[in-house]
Formats: sequence, structure tokens, C-alpha cells
Amino acid sequence: MRTTDDPVLARVLDVIRANALEIVPDADPQAVVPHSSLADIGANSIDRADIVAMTMEQLGIVVPVAEFAQVRDIGTLAELLRRHLP
Amino acid sequence: MSGRPVPPSRVAVTGAGILCAIADSLETFAAALYSGRSGIGVRSVEATGGTVLSADLTGFDFPTAVAARAALPEELRRVALRVSGRAPLAVRAAVTVALQAWEAAELHRVPVAGERIGVVVGGHNLAGAYTERLRPRYDASPVYLPGRFALHMLDTDHVGMVSQILGITGEGFTVGGASASGNVALINACRLLAAGEVDVCLVIGALADLSAMERQAFVNLGAMAGARGTSDPGSRARPFDADREGFVPGEAAACLVLESAESVRRRGVRPLGGVAGYALRLDGNSLADPDAAGEARAMAEALRRAGLNPADVDYVNSHGTGSRLGDETEVAALHKVFGSDIGRPWVNSTKGLLGHTLWAAGVVEAVATLVQLRDGFVHPNANLEHPIDAACRFVGTRAQRASLRVAMSNAFGFGGFNTSVVLTAAEPATESA
Repeated sequence: MRTTDDPVLARVLDVIRANALEIVPDADPQAVVPHSSLADIGANSIDRADIVAMTMEQLGIVVPVAEFAQVRDIGTLAELLRRHLP
Repeated sequence: MSGRPVPPSRVAVTGAGILCAIADSLETFAAALYSGRSGIGVRSVEATGGTVLSADLTGFDFPTAVAARAALPEELRRVALRVSGRAPLAVRAAVTVALQAWEAAELHRVPVAGERIGVVVGGHNLAGAYTERLRPRYDASPVYLPGRFALHMLDTDHVGMVSQILGITGEGFTVGGASASGNVALINACRLLAAGEVDVCLVIGALADLSAMERQAFVNLGAMAGARGTSDPGSRARPFDADREGFVPGEAAACLVLESAESVRRRGVRPLGGVAGYALRLDGNSLADPDAAGEARAMAEALRRAGLNPADVDYVNSHGTGSRLGDETEVAALHKVFGSDIGRPWVNSTKGLLGHTLWAAGVVEAVATLVQLRDGFVHPNANLEHPIDAACRFVGTRAQRASLRVAMSNAFGFGGFNTSVVLTAAEPATESA
């Protein structure tokens, strides 16, 4: 399900989604969409930290911890990570 | 065999679980011990390109192990997978054996309030290999280190995970005593019961998932077998044999459910056996330097607390690591304790079959002792061709049928830890259920 025309952002969303489903295997895949939060899909605080670290590692980027304060949902998380991609 | 009645144990064992190189359940464990199957093999070492002797778990798969507990409620199995599915090996092993023991104790069928249940985990330095595996991610960038590491690096993660899954809200903690850690846990669980803090207490011997550095440290100390190479691994752990060369490390976790006599009566469950006495004594010595006097003090005190004499002991599950000095020292200690009765109790070492399971050993070997008491046999001493002592009644390389009532299980640890526990067979079933 594509929810953006930006192919790079779409890729970031795909990586987040794959990691979210790996860490929270009982989450509903249909629920992992930009307007829902990781908490909404059943990820606890530790799960969320893992999903973010795995996603940064796979994308090869390092985002300062302070910047995550602006993240509201999966969509804003993807946009933040997107901005750090070369 | 003396006909003296054995005093009833104040603490009952109502469930047990085991995961080791030769078994993944109590029943497969009993059969493997009887047949004397060796779990010792080799594993490769990345840093050297060589191999080391090791008794590793084979084919352990956490989802399969959880699914095997079919008698447990589906929701409990689901929670176990969700909570611990991504945890380090040692934690997944602890949860596996806890579920086995929980099922065996029928705690799912005849429950006890969570706040009346405790959990004591024996072991320390439990995240060595897990930490080592994460190191490359940290080196790539510190932010890639999973947040989860903050919990999993703590030995107490074992307590948190097991208590969350099983709804245990009484007391819980980890205890340590090097290779005596399992017995230290058993002793502390007995005390929680005696103090009335809990009615039921899980005792977990935590799996030693050694990092390559930790493993090498034992090699460099000269404690581990393998200096002569790694060929014919099944012959290399030889407790009490003249040709022994050190211990072979083994992966295992085990769990016992201890329960007060009152709770056993209330729940109407049948014990597997009992804990009659125990003792922990230090040598006042930080080294890897065992002392026969300290070991003998622990054994004698455990018997005294059980209200038993050395002549009442039918079987000793020795610490018996296969180390040159350690085995000699334990034989000397057995002579001190048993004196002219030295030829009476059977003596074997489970480490010849499973390797030395280190922190878990006390609990693993308590489980081994309890199944031998229950089933009436003593398992073989692997590779015991030339015993170092003619007076001790070592089991040979084949199992022996034996009617056993009282057993002693020893565990000693680097840094002067001497522990011994006295275990008793369950009383024969009587008219009332």
C-alpha cells in the first residue's frame, strides 16, 4: 500500500513496516500505516527503540536522539529518517 | 540399606524442567541419563578457526519448545512467545524450563496466587555471548545498539521475563556463587519458603552462554579439557578418571518448583521429591583453589540440618567436573564426611554426560538426582575406566538399578563456594490422594 509519491519515503516506510512486523509479530500488517503510531500497533517502548535502531542501521543513517521528539506517528518517523538519507 | 525412617522434608519439589545437550524434557532426560548418552561435541571458534569441546543444545527452537507445553493455556503460550521470542538464548532457555516445571507442578490447573509465588534465578554473567554478538552493531554506530540491550544485558532480565509470563508477583531475584550458583538459588528459595514469604518458589539454573573470551579464560587457566585437541569428544569429559584433563563446558537450563508442605496438601499435587537439608560454606579464598575441609563442612552441615547421618545417604551426585585438582579434592572431602561408610553411597557425576553447565549445574544436577531417586537407578560415570579412588563406590560406565531414598548433590565454585543439598525421594503413594 503506497501512501506517498516519493519513492525514497516509500522505501523508508517499507523498512519501518518490515521491522515493526518483525519486532511485533502479532501486529496487524494492515494497521502499519503512516497515520498510526508504533504504540497503536502494539509496540511497547522497548519495541519502538528497537524498530528505530534497526531501521537506522538498515538505512545506514544516524539520527540524533533529540530529533525523535518531533515524531508523532509512523509517517512523521519516516519523514525524519528520510531527511537524513543522502 | 539402613531401615531408619527418613524425616519428612519440609520443602517439596512439585515440578521440574530441563533443557540440555541430551534432553529437552524430564522424561527424555531420565532415559538419556540411564543410557549414559554423551552430549559432548565440538564447536568452531571464529577467532582461531579451530574447535573447542562443548556440550551444546542441539535443535533448540523456542516456538517449538513453547508449543510442546500443550497442557498449558493457549494464552500463556502466546504471552511467552510475545514476551521472550526475541530474548537472548539464556532467557529463552529459562522460560522454556520454567514452563515445563509450571506444567509439571500443575500450577495452571490448581493455581496459587501470584503474590504467594517467588522466583530465584541462579547465575551471573549471563549475557556474555549476547553482548559479544551485538558488538559489531555498536562498532558500526553506537545508535544501532538495540534499546532492548538495556534490559537483556541485566542478569535480572531472567527474573523479569519469567515473572511477567507466569504472573509471579511475590519475591524474585538472582543469586550467584560461580559454579555453585544453582545450589545457592535452591538454598535461597528454601529460605523464602521457610520464612513464609511465599508458598511456591521457582528455582532456575540459568544457562551459561559463554562469550569466546569467557571460554578462553577457562582454557588459559588450565581448567578446561581440550589441551590435547578435540578429537573423540565423547571421551574427553572423564570425572574421577586417572586420565581426566579438565571440564568440558555445557549448555543447560533447569527449573524446580519448590513448595511448602501446606501448599502441597492444599493443592493435592504429588511431589517428585523433597529438599531435606542444605548448606553453603565459604573457604575465605578468592581463587580457583578447592579445599576438602570446606567441601566437607558444607556436606556435613547439609546432613545435620536434614537430621540425617552420613550412613543414611544412598547416593552422591558429585560436583565432579573432571578437573585434576577438583576431583581429587572432592574425593578427599567425601572420605572426611563418610569415613568408614565411604563405600556405601553410590557416586557419579552428571558432568561426564552434559558437560559442566556452570551456573546452572546445581539445579540441573538436582533434577538429575530427583529423576534417579524417582526411577531407582544411578546413571553411568562417562569414561570412568581407571577410578582415582578405590574406596568410593563410583558407578561404572553402565547404569545400575538402585533403590534410593536419600541423595546429596554437591556444587562448588571458584572463589571458595562450597554447597551441598540433601534431596529425598517422594514418599510412596498412600491411600489418600
